Parts: sequence; structure tokens; C-alpha cells
Amino acid sequence: MNGVRILLRQPRSLVGAGILLVLLLMGLLAPLITPYDPNSLEFGPFMPLSAQHPLGTTAIGQDIFAQLLYGARLTLLVGAVAGLIATILSVTLGLTAAYVGGWVDEAINALINVFLVLPGLPLVIIAAAFLRGGGVWPVILVISLTGWAWGARVLRAQAMALRERDFVQAAVASGEGPGRIIFMEILPNMTSLIAANFFGAALYAVLSEAGLSFIGVGDVSLVTWGTMLYWAQAKGALLQGAWWWVAMPGLGIALLGTSFALLNFAIDQLGNPRLGWGSVKSPRRKLAPTPPAAGNALLAVRDLDVGYVTPQGTVRAVRKVSLDVAPGEFVGLAGESGCGKSTLAFAATRLLNPPGEVLGGSVSLAGHDLLSLTPEALRQVRWKEFSVVFQASMNVLNPVLKIREQVYDAMQAHGITDPARLDARARELFALVGIQIRYLDSYPHQLSGGMKQRVVIAIALALEPKLIVMDEPTTALDVVVQRQILQEIAEVRRRLQISIVFITHDLSLLVEMSDRVAIMYAGELVEQAPAHDLYAHPAHPYTQQLMKAFPPMTGPRERRSGIPGRPPSLSETLPGCPFFERCAVRMPGTCDVKPLETFTVGEAHTVACFLYDPAVSPATKELALSHALNPVIAKEVQLESVPNSALH
Amino acid sequence: MNPSQTPLSTNSAQPQPSPLSQTTSGPNTLDIVNLRKVFGGRGKGGGVVAVNDVTFSIRRGEVLGLVGESGSGKSTIARLIARLYQPTSGEIRLNGEVVPHKLGGRGLRQLRRRVQMIFQDPYASLNPLHPVSYTLARPLKIHRLARGNTDPQVRVLLERVGLTPALTYAAKRPFELSGGQRQRVGIARALAAQPELILADEPTSALDVSIRLDVMNLMLDLKDQEGLSMLFITHDLAGARYMSDRVAVLYAGTLVEIGPAVQVIDQPQHPYTQLLKSAAPKPDAGLTPDHIEARGEVPDLSTLPPGCPFEPRCPYAMRECKDGLPRMYDVGGEHQARCLLHDPAIKARQAVAGYAP
Ligand SMILES: Nc1ncnc2c1ncn2[C@@H]1O[C@H](COP(=O)(O)OP(=O)(O)OP(=O)(O)O)[C@@H](O)[C@H]1O
Ligand code: SF4
Ligand code: SF4
Ligand SMILES: [Mg+2]
Repeated sequence: MNGVRILLRQPRSLVGAGILLVLLLMGLLAPLITPYDPNSLEFGPFMPLSAQHPLGTTAIGQDIFAQLLYGARLTLLVGAVAGLIATILSVTLGLTAAYVGGWVDEAINALINVFLVLPGLPLVIIAAAFLRGGGVWPVILVISLTGWAWGARVLRAQAMALRERDFVQAAVASGEGPGRIIFMEILPNMTSLIAANFFGAALYAVLSEAGLSFIGVGDVSLVTWGTMLYWAQAKGALLQGAWWWVAMPGLGIALLGTSFALLNFAIDQLGNPRLGWGSVKSPRRKLAPTPPAAGNALLAVRDLDVGYVTPQGTVRAVRKVSLDVAPGEFVGLAGESGCGKSTLAFAATRLLNPPGEVLGGSVSLAGHDLLSLTPEALRQVRWKEFSVVFQASMNVLNPVLKIREQVYDAMQAHGITDPARLDARARELFALVGIQIRYLDSYPHQLSGGMKQRVVIAIALALEPKLIVMDEPTTALDVVVQRQILQEIAEVRRRLQISIVFITHDLSLLVEMSDRVAIMYAGELVEQAPAHDLYAHPAHPYTQQLMKAFPPMTGPRERRSGIPGRPPSLSETLPGCPFFERCAVRMPGTCDVKPLETFTVGEAHTVACFLYDPAVSPATKELALSHALNPVIAKEVQLESVPNSALH
Repeated sequence: MNPSQTPLSTNSAQPQPSPLSQTTSGPNTLDIVNLRKVFGGRGKGGGVVAVNDVTFSIRRGEVLGLVGESGSGKSTIARLIARLYQPTSGEIRLNGEVVPHKLGGRGLRQLRRRVQMIFQDPYASLNPLHPVSYTLARPLKIHRLARGNTDPQVRVLLERVGLTPALTYAAKRPFELSGGQRQRVGIARALAAQPELILADEPTSALDVSIRLDVMNLMLDLKDQEGLSMLFITHDLAGARYMSDRVAVLYAGTLVEIGPAVQVIDQPQHPYTQLLKSAAPKPDAGLTPDHIEARGEVPDLSTLPPGCPFEPRCPYAMRECKDGLPRMYDVGGEHQARCLLHDPAIKARQAVAGYAP
């Protein structure tokens, strides 16, 4: 299984499993390792360490080494069986509560809460005291009955979440009965949690057993590590200098506990991978800085290469992309999901997190070589020269701070501290993005999603940056709200003359908003043009198909087609055009072998497609167009886009 | 062209019965009458009215588009029809037969064969642990549509949704499939039970633009070839126009406009539908500087005004709009809108005052 394989790669789980294996073997192979019976009293009391008795003997002459080995048996048995029973109880009760719901859920939940608030150890002690001397099973029973509640609560919550998941709803909607829903749909998705829960309960059981035995409430005639501790303490082992009588079972318990805890944690992490995330860093480029680009561009991205370094290889998400943004310009960046839009935005603003890495190229913003700035210098530039708004950024607002404090934050960090000035600026910003001033003194949860997103935009505007990068700032919002916010953005930009890089997959929106549009495909910038040129004369076959992939709001209703196929994997190195596999007018022998190049087809209009390569013979192009897989696109290319000079 | 026809049908050359003269051809696939759902607040007043006495029908072989903002109750309606939620009141008829209010065991299973859902997020609606063949075989087994080996039928299903070679896809698990492929599996699962009605809850909005149209086309093909009836839920007007024969618009749990798709979207008659339309992107226009006249945002269902639910945001709101929920007014053909601007008395008054919206 996949999960097991991942576990075996984790040092934590390996160590945990290793310790457990050793302890298990100790118990199982005890008769082979030592010739003595742990209960035989045939030796003298308190014998010192010797080859015959590696750990000496007890006060009544039992071999301590034999006790340690045989003690592992019962201790592990208690852990495993009590862990198992507690887990079965947690799973049954937790799942029943979650699945059946209603009063059953309320009753079970009440029971869980009662067990959770009852102080565990005293309860165990009282119960065990009644069952005293009855062997190991009463102890196991008592421990499992007190140890299930925590797991039941976690499993109930998880099962409730899963119950609401679409795939469970889909199974219900297709007529599946409760048994299959629980055992085939919900339970299999909880295995890691259940396994983690088992080790957690086993840990609790081992520790409880040791505790009970140590204070003499268990059955002290049995040999477990707990009872060894009890006898060692009762017979004054330490006074006799036989510290190992205490230390060895103690060590055993500690090791077993560690192993269970490690396994619990490792499995838990498997089901909840976010626990392992590192902190946010802004890696500085490792390459020698290239000189900043010339020209009057505010933002100049040159041959930027960005990759994600993973164990499976490097995913090259941005490939030699060059993009200029003039002061005051609104540049739209479009492309299907996974084509590298956000990576480009993150890398160009030094917000890329590992394993993302800039592999080459340069970014200059208002004269700063952004990729080689020190973190301190970067902090100065951020907010003042540029700011960013991301799709889920309305969720970055701190829920326990008033909106006002969060709006002040960036300004205060850049030295504006006068309260009157801060307040005036905050009011100004709110007016700018269309929120009522009174919301300054609200908490984020009192605002709707649309208002929160406006607050985030207001914060991004706080220091009047020259550039704002917006990555799908409105996709999570409703159309009407989205439109209102977009109008505010357009208005603010006109008034303040800021540049905006706006990323979305919604091409029609972009064409409407932007001065210039850049289209990305599989990590490459495949076309760039003034928005209305791009709309009227898309040159790249991908852009042409993308334009046609939206149902129109007006005009005759007729069938349109999407773009069949899917983009190539970004971990591949492609010899030629990345769109080759899906292109309706591809030229085999050219497009799939020549390294991709960009050609100019009009004023400020560039396209990375060999149909516009003067070096490719017109006959080849004609042939491709006449054999096109998609005649509509071929016609379009022929009629509108391919400059005559390129065809003939 | 007759606007009530489906220009998208492959058989659009054949004359179709005009909906106005549709007195023949048996009962509708679905009728819902005054369907209501209140969440929470048992008994005393409280609670959120997510679906407020909604009435509409879906004819055989028809796609009804259901449009509205998030939280307007679109999904809740679909889940009420599929009985994932129990309706608070109102009636649901399938092919003319009333679906009983109390339903369990066999009756419920039968309903769930006749009505199938397609979910919004293809990444969430397939159990990550099951291979495609399991997901598709289950409905066949539950509803006893296959004897013994289900493989041949699974293969046919996969071929119907364009996942070929079927054998390869049958063995795959969801993580090995792209979003579009997953949604095709979701569609195949819905088809497996041979339903009379498909409830598609935003089946394309989680998909990438480049593949959205393919999935829509697949559903249109299935409708044309197999005469399926469909409720197509979306927040995208252009998508609704592309997919649907008729469109219903929902606002705050209330049906505010319904009619032939082209008519509703090309000439919306309710101020809310007009607002929705003006908010859609217009690539050929350039961002219009004139702000759309809409105050406020998505309404809070627990504090709705007593009258027209759109009143707090409506640019044309009048005194009467607060008096009570307006009724549906006929605005031409089969087209209806729930707005007092279409009330003859108010129209007359406004004509006198020289005021026109
Ligand atoms: N189980 C529930 N308990 C309480 N309230 C609910 C529940 N399900 C839905 N609601 C409420 O009912 C209203 C309608 O929800 P519904 O999910 O149908 O909207 P929608 O139009 O489908 O939205 P979206 O486009 O976001 O999916 C919302 O206000 C929602 O908060
Ligand atoms: S014509 Fe060739 S270069 Fe142009 S998009 Fe198609 S495959 Fe790529
Ligand atoms: S009834 Fe009144 S408030 Fe409601 S939409 Fe019509 S004009 Fe606006
Ligand atoms: Mg919904």
C-alpha cells in the first residue's frame, strides 16, 4: 500500500517500528534467550550482575533478566489488547454517532464528554481496586473502558466530515445502503486515523498498567514491567544498590511508549500532511545576477525559469518567460490551471516557497534587481513598490484583530505612526475600494467574503505601490460582487496610475479589463498582445481555441468545442512546441522538433508558434492547414491570422 | 428561428413541438410544487428558509437551467429532489406520480434509481480509494441492473462518456485522472442507474475552461441521443444559455424568473436577472465605467424583508415592493417574472408618470 511505503521512508516511523520489533522479539523469544523461569525462586537474593545473571536477582531470588524478557510479553499484551478494544469501541461509537445522527449522536456525544472530563487515573484506580488480583484481564478491561473516549471524539468528528463529503453523498444518492456507506466509503478513508488511534490507546494502556501496578492496584503476582517496578520499589532495590532492577523495566516502558508515540505521530501525519510543512521563506537566487533590463518598463521579467524540486524530479513550471509591465499598465495573464501563472507571480514577487526555486533569469522592479535583494531590502521594497493580492487572501485577515489594526499594519511597518494620519489614510482607502468607514472597527467575521476581499485590496493599496500583482482576486466571489470589485480596481488604477498584473483563467474577463494580455501554456508564454488585438486576431492556435471555449452570451446558439486533450506534464522536457499534442494545425517534423521560438506578428504582438516562422516553408504551413484536425480553427488561422508574408 | 427550440440539438432541423401547444406527450418528468425547505430552528419561527415555495417543471427530454448566486438555494433544491434532504413542505412529482413525503427502504432506493446527481467538484465526488470500475458497478448492482459480471456494462458506460479505451480507464483510481476525466466518470455513474432525471449541480464550474465545453457537449449529446431530462445548476448565465431549453432564476430561495433560455437571458425581465447579466464579462465591450446599480451583497436569508426579497438591492424598488411577496407575472410566451414592475396597475401608473425602467 502507498501509505505503508511512505511510512517506511519516514525516519520517525522506522525508529518506532524498529523499537517495537525488538521489544516484541524479546518477549516472544524469551525462552530461547534465557534458561530461567521468571518466577522461580531458586537463586539467592540481590545477587550482583554476572554472566549467569546479567541483571542480577530480585529480593526473593528471581532472575531479573528473565523477568524483563517475560515481562515484555504481558506488557505488550496489555498494550495491544487494551489498545485494540479501546479502538474498536471508539470506532463503533464514533461512527455510529456520526452516521445515525439525531438523538443517538447526542447520547453518544454526552457519554464521550462524561468520559473525557472524568479524571482518568483515579477512575482506573478505583475500578482496578475492585477487580484486584483477578489476573491481567480485569486490568485490560478497565483500561480499555476508560481509554476509548478521546479516540471516539476524534473519529466521530472525522466521520462527520467525511459524511458530508461529496463522494459519500454521491453514494447515498445512488441508493447505496448504510452498511456499504460506512464500510466501503467512510471507513477506508479513516484507516490512518484509526491506526494512529490504536497506537495512542496502546500507549495509554501501557502507561496505565505501569501506573496501576506500581501503586500495587493491579495483580502484582503477574510479571509485567509495571509489577517489576512495584516489587523493586517495595523491596528497596535502590537502597540495596540494585538500581538496574528499577532502571531496566523503566527503560522498557519508556522505549515502548516512545515507539507507540512515534508510530502514532507518523501515521497521524500521513493523514494530515500539513503538520509537516516548513515555514515560509523567500529564497534568494543562487545564480549570478544578470544586469537589470533596460527600457522604461516598471517590471521587467527576463528569461525567468522557475521549478519545483521534488523527489520525482524537477517540475519546470515557468520556462524562460519574459514579460514587461509599463508604468500604469494593466496586464492580464491567462491560461488553464496548472500552466504556471501563479508560480510566475510568486517568483516575480519573491514569494515563492520551497520546493519552488528560481532556476534562472532576472526580475527588475523600478530599478531594483528583485531576485538578489537581501531580505531586509526586500521588506523595504514590498508594500512600498509593489504589493500582492491572492485568491484566498481574504482568509489571511487575522480573525482576532480589528480591521483597523490590520489596515494600519503595513503603514506602521513603513514608519507612518501618527494616529491622525493613519486614520485619515484608512478612511481614504475604504472610500477608494467602496466599503463603509464603520467597518474599520469590525472584526473580519462580521464582513462578507466580498467585503473582506476589498479590505485586502485596500491594504495592498495602503502605501501607494507602483505595482499590484493580483492572482485570481475575485474567483471565489459571486459574479455581481466580482464585477463591483473589478470596477473599483479599474477605477483606482486610473486614478492612482498604478500598474496591475492580473491573473485569471477567465479570458473574456481579462480581455475586457486589460491593456495587454499574455497567454501562458505549459510554463511558456505563448502569446502577448494588446487586449483588443488579441480578441480580434488571436494568432496562436491555443489562444484561438481558448477564445472559442466560452459559450457566448449573445448571438446564435451553436455548438462550440473545447480543447481536447490535456497539457503535457511539466516535468517533461519538450523538444518543440508544448501545444503540439493538442494542436489542430500542427506541423509534424517542424513543431515537435524545433526549439520553441517567439515571432512578432504585429505591433506589440508576439506569438510562439511556427506557423509564423518565416523559415518554415509556406508549403508545410499550407499542408498543415489543409489537413487540420479542426477545420474551423484552420479556416480561422488561414483567414485572419497568418500574415501573408508568413504563408507565401 | 423559433426561440423555444433547442438550436443546439443535433436534430434541430426537425420541427419540435412548440412548448405552448404542448398538451400531448404525457406527464412532465418532474414537477415540483411549492417546495419549501427550512433549515434549523425547530418549531418556533426561527430557522433559515433556504427554499421558499418554489414551483417549476421539467419536461421530458428538456434541460432546465437553474441560475442564482451562491447561497440562493440551487443545490438545496437538487438535494431535496434526490431526497438527500427531507422537504419541509411541498410536493414533488416524478412522471406524474407523487413522491411520498415519507420514504424509506425500497421506495427510497427506487427514487434514487430514477433520479441521479452529478456533483460540482469531481475531485471530491469520487472516493479516492475506489477504482473507476467499482464506482460504476455499484449503481448497477444496487439497482439490480446487471446480472453477475458487470464488466461489459461498465465498459459500455465508459464508452458512452468518451473514456476510451474503456478497459484502461476502468482500472484507474481517481488520482490518476484529470478533472475532465473525473467528471466524465461522475456522469457515467449517473447514467449507470438509467435514470429519468439527472440533477447536475454545477458540473462544470470546477473544471478548467478548456475542458468545460467538452463536458457540456457530452451532456447535450446524451440528452439528444437518449432523451434525458436534466436540471442544470449553474451560476454562469452564458453556460445556462448554452445548455438549457428553459432557464429558472433563483434569488434568496425564491424563484424570480422562468422562461425559454434565450428569452430569459437575452431579455431578462426581473431586475435581479438584469443585474446578473450586466455583471457577466463582456470581452468586446471594455469595462463599462457606469457602475451597475446594485447596492449591497448576497442577502442574509435569516433577515429577509417581508416583501420582494430583492427589494433592498433593487434600483427600481417602490413602496409596494415591501408589502408582500409579488406573484409571478406573465411577460410574454412562457416567460414569467416575479416583479411588480409587470403589474398592470403599476405599469399604468408609471406610464402616466412618464417613468420606465
Ligand atoms: N445543511 C444545512 N444547514 C443549514 N443551512 C444550510 C444547509 N445547507 C444549506 N444551507 C443554507 O441554505 C442556503 C442555500 O444553500 P445552497 O447550498 O443551496 O446554495 P447554492 O445556491 O447552491 O450555493 P453555491 O453556489 O455556493 O453552491 C444557504 O444560505 C446555506 O447557508
Ligand atoms: S502550429 Fe505548431 S507551433 Fe503552432 S501551436 Fe500548433 S504545434 Fe505549436
Ligand atoms: S418587486 Fe419591486 S423590489 Fe422587487 S424586483 Fe420588482 S421592482 Fe424591484
Ligand atoms: Mg451550490
